[in-house]
Amino acid sequence: MRRVLLVLSVLCLGFAFAQPVKIGILSPLTGGAAGTGQAQKAGFELALEEINAAGGVLGEPLEIIIEDTQATADVALAAFEKLMTEDEVEFIAGGFSSGVTLALVESFKTFQPLVSWIGAAVSGVGIDGFDGVEELLGNEPWFFHVHPWDYHNIEAATNFVTSTGAQSVALLHEDSAFGGPGADSAQNFIENAGLSVPLNEAFKSTLLGGTGDFRAILSKAQASNADMLYWIGYDSDVVPMISQIRELNYEPNFIFGAPPGWPADFANAPEANCVTGLIGFLPNLPTEDAQAFTKAFEAKFNTQPDNYNSALAYAQLWSYADAINAAGTTDQAAVIAALESGEFRSPMGAWSFGPSEITQHQGFGTELWLVFQYQDGVREIVFPLENATAPLQACQ
Amino acid sequence: MDFSLVAQGLVSGVLASGLYALVSVGLALAIGVIGIVNFAHGEFFMVGAFLAYQLFVSFGFDPVVSLLFVAPILFVLGAVIYQSSIRYVLKAPELNQMLLTFGIGIILQNLALVIWGGDPRSISNVPYRSVGYQLAGVSIGVVPFASFLLSVALVGGLYYMLIRTPAGRAMRAVSQNRMGASLIGLEVNRIYLLAFALSAALAGLGGVMIAVIQSPTPTVGFAFTLKAFAIVVLAGLGNIRGILWASLLVALAESMVATLIPDGDALRNAVFFAIIFVVLIVRSRRLA
Repeated sequence: MRRVLLVLSVLCLGFAFAQPVKIGILSPLTGGAAGTGQAQKAGFELALEEINAAGGVLGEPLEIIIEDTQATADVALAAFEKLMTEDEVEFIAGGFSSGVTLALVESFKTFQPLVSWIGAAVSGVGIDGFDGVEELLGNEPWFFHVHPWDYHNIEAATNFVTSTGAQSVALLHEDSAFGGPGADSAQNFIENAGLSVPLNEAFKSTLLGGTGDFRAILSKAQASNADMLYWIGYDSDVVPMISQIRELNYEPNFIFGAPPGWPADFANAPEANCVTGLIGFLPNLPTEDAQAFTKAFEAKFNTQPDNYNSALAYAQLWSYADAINAAGTTDQAAVIAALESGEFRSPMGAWSFGPSEITQHQGFGTELWLVFQYQDGVREIVFPLENATAPLQACQ
Repeated sequence: MDFSLVAQGLVSGVLASGLYALVSVGLALAIGVIGIVNFAHGEFFMVGAFLAYQLFVSFGFDPVVSLLFVAPILFVLGAVIYQSSIRYVLKAPELNQMLLTFGIGIILQNLALVIWGGDPRSISNVPYRSVGYQLAGVSIGVVPFASFLLSVALVGGLYYMLIRTPAGRAMRAVSQNRMGASLIGLEVNRIYLLAFALSAALAGLGGVMIAVIQSPTPTVGFAFTLKAFAIVVLAGLGNIRGILWASLLVALAESMVATLIPDGDALRNAVFFAIIFVVLIVRSRRLA
């Protein structure tokens, strides 16, 4: 009888140990930010396939549960609580939208799972009277942030802006938590670099209820006579913004945009020529890691990884898998230590978590960003120069 | 304040009103004739935009050519949706009608997500999209000007049809008194079918214009539907002729606030709904 009980206990223990590790993912699969959510989903699926082909996590196939946030605060809250209470996951991944993340802060603090978060660039650092994501979560030991913060984005953008020789910059920004603080930081950085900012104007993005008529703000930018137009908005603003610039016969020396992504077919539009933009990853990035990722992505999805959120999602899931395997357990403290000390793979090259303005757990920073320019239907990398595939061309 | 900036704001506002009218007129027709508040109107608009995109990608059709295909396709889609669902709730409480059309909208939105994905698409080669002609320091865009002319023609044509043609008279008769119209031998259900299909076709035409000037996404119809509802209310429920001036009023107000006030573009929606708010209060006081 004792022997039977012992065998049963061992079997039960074995069964318990054999439970696969589950990672809960929050991503906007539908709604206005579905492009980003679907890009993240593709990156997660590719990483999951590779992780499980390589032996999984703790000897079992890794499982992911993707919940749709619709980039909406209340939907995201319900999805997060479902992951915590019904699915009982210990690890959270994904993440997009500073507004959604700010709404999740209190729930994160209540449940305190290990959160590795891609999106939410609004740090709050340097902005009076506004608490950003880094200010609210940066000191939490269980919070890891993958995407650069707004000051990283702005620093990368400013490095590019100053390298062009432009003396003045007209800033246009969408009016939510993404564009507003971003533009204020941008103005500070640009002015500190010795350039003038004659215009800093808000607009209503097409993603957030705008109808895409930007003629009024573009006319103001035109009247400012700035050398460069720098706009911060969303993917769906690209076509109306750029086509109306041309329609108004507005010809700044440089047109520079920083939406999270760019419409895939836009490269072939005649008005795209000479437009520059900030992006986290491009399929033509001339490195071995980038080319391997692009090849695997194309083989699986029959399309190129145009949205850099695919690359970030891929990097994020691999970092979880490698950290849990290195820790040899799902114990939160051990996995946190492994995430803090590990170096991980990504399409952008090796990366690790390190200190930022507040958090000690920051993934990518200024170095992530590339500046591309549409040149005859191709997105050529023009900055930083060490990754450049073509020289920058002025619009005039 | 620079005079050309103000003039540009005025011209942009007038031209933008064309698109608002194009989106609103179909909705006004559905509300005026059938008496149903169609929450899926924006999704018809979105389907029109994606069809124009697909016709470009698959066959290289210019959006102007696509207008000839999208309108009939949306007409048929509207007819099928009416026959398969809408007609069953015409006598049901308004809440049921709203829930049904809301559900149809969600289905169409998610179908678009499955077929075309969530990324913004763009018709890459529209040579006239970025063309604007300069007149006394003011730019007049080819596309906004064409969409303005198209809207005026369509609203005028629809008004003419309602006043002068047998089908139009039948629609007016049904909208005024459903029972009476049926007693004099009008086939009420067929007239409703025609009105709903026509409403969808008009939304589809608006969608083609959007495919030219914006990026079709599954949610592209939302902002325009919201404004279309407000314009229809402003014009007076079912008042086709009033759509033009209501669109002009709100588009001009939006454009001038965006031009004259710092950060005014971010106030567009506030301006829009403030006008509706004021008009509704004034109108209700007059009735009281």
